[in-house]
Amino acid sequence: MTPRLLHHVDAIARVLVPALLGIVLVIVSTIPFHIPWFGPVTPNFVLIAIFFWGVHRIYFFSNITVFFIGLLLDILVGTPPGLNAIVLVLVRNIAVSQAKVFRGKPFLVLWLGFGLISFVTGAVIWALNAIYHMTLVDPLPIVFQMAMTFTVFPLLAWLFARTQRKLFQQT
Amino acid sequence: MALLISAPLKALVQRFSFLFLILAAFGIMLLSKTETLVVEKFSTVVVDVFSPIMDVISKPAATINHAARTFQELANLREDNIRLKRENERLLLWQETAKRLKSENKILQSLLQFTPTPKRQFITARVIADSGGAFVRSIIVNTGKRNGVRKGQAAVTGVGLAGRVVAVGHRSARVLLVTDINSRVPVLVETTRDRAILSGDNSSMPRLTFLPTNSTAKAGHRIVTSGHGGVFPAGLQVGFIVDGSNGIMRVKPNVSFQKLEYIRLVDSAVIAPFESRSSVKGLPKKAAQQ
Repeated sequence: MTPRLLHHVDAIARVLVPALLGIVLVIVSTIPFHIPWFGPVTPNFVLIAIFFWGVHRIYFFSNITVFFIGLLLDILVGTPPGLNAIVLVLVRNIAVSQAKVFRGKPFLVLWLGFGLISFVTGAVIWALNAIYHMTLVDPLPIVFQMAMTFTVFPLLAWLFARTQRKLFQQT
Repeated sequence: MALLISAPLKALVQRFSFLFLILAAFGIMLLSKTETLVVEKFSTVVVDVFSPIMDVISKPAATINHAARTFQELANLREDNIRLKRENERLLLWQETAKRLKSENKILQSLLQFTPTPKRQFITARVIADSGGAFVRSIIVNTGKRNGVRKGQAAVTGVGLAGRVVAVGHRSARVLLVTDINSRVPVLVETTRDRAILSGDNSSMPRLTFLPTNSTAKAGHRIVTSGHGGVFPAGLQVGFIVDGSNGIMRVKPNVSFQKLEYIRLVDSAVIAPFESRSSVKGLPKKAAQQ
């Protein structure tokens, strides 16, 4: 392959890979697992991905990719369209701005940082839902969902770290 | 050199895109409140595009669930057998009563020249997506307009009402479950015949609202659809009353929402007799057999 062609392939891959990863995670979030009580508290896999890559590869997910992933999540899950788009774009930008704080620190710091982010995210999702439905919705489901998301974070982070090593071997 | 320029430029674009996208997302949220139809149409197309993928991906998950359930059933084989034998004895007695009542009902109906409710037609659909959101209770099924699914159809399982079709694509449809915060179902308390509204609030047990103040309905009474408003067929089992906190009456639905795999979409008895069912002709054999 000529260097020019390689450059094109690289540019396309840089857009496609994050988008595809996002789509896969969104679809995984909608699989009916039929585990009692799992439905309403499916961990927010997309949130983990956006945070993780936001810290480790700030240009992996662009704002526009994150926006569309959020919108797709809203549409497939049935949440008010735009809600997850707002939340995920916010989380991506927080993660990117704090990337220096987390990089090179022990994993526990990253995990706790994510815990804080997921707590804030949960509050924002709850508030947006309450405004959208014009009623005080029960916050318990989102507390559970964020607790689940926080719990599965190490597993997904490990998977993403492996993927990252594979993807960016040459760079 | 190119790298030196592109990095700050990228940062600038990202910063502006951040503000623009946040505003755009708020705009879409607002639009979905005011221009419901436009947003719904767009969402339906997107769900339609992704439904074949979700259909394929949900199959292995369903197989795993089946395997897990089989294992569970094997473990409970002995107890189940004893329980079912007892139940069978009891049901045989009921069968006798039912037969007697059926013939009696037939005679009485002919005496009164009663017009029977038309038989309902239904479409069976497989659940391909569950809502993973904390504040939404809906599912996506793998049948759509091409199978004759229409907006407003009631979604039922063998044990009762699950929800209603709120959006229909070409090959997929979204069903809003009765537990969702946006769900309102006109119901009747079976024994007292009091009308009420079953209002979902995202909890597993929807509230019973607008019940007359002099109603004698109490915990344990069964709830059925009233058929008022013409959306739901009358007489579908929904669940039974349980006492909630603060004196609020709640209904425990018969349907186990976590185990939904297949559901049937039924027309309202009011609409069915007048409407041509030609659209159902295109129903694939598989769906018709289920």
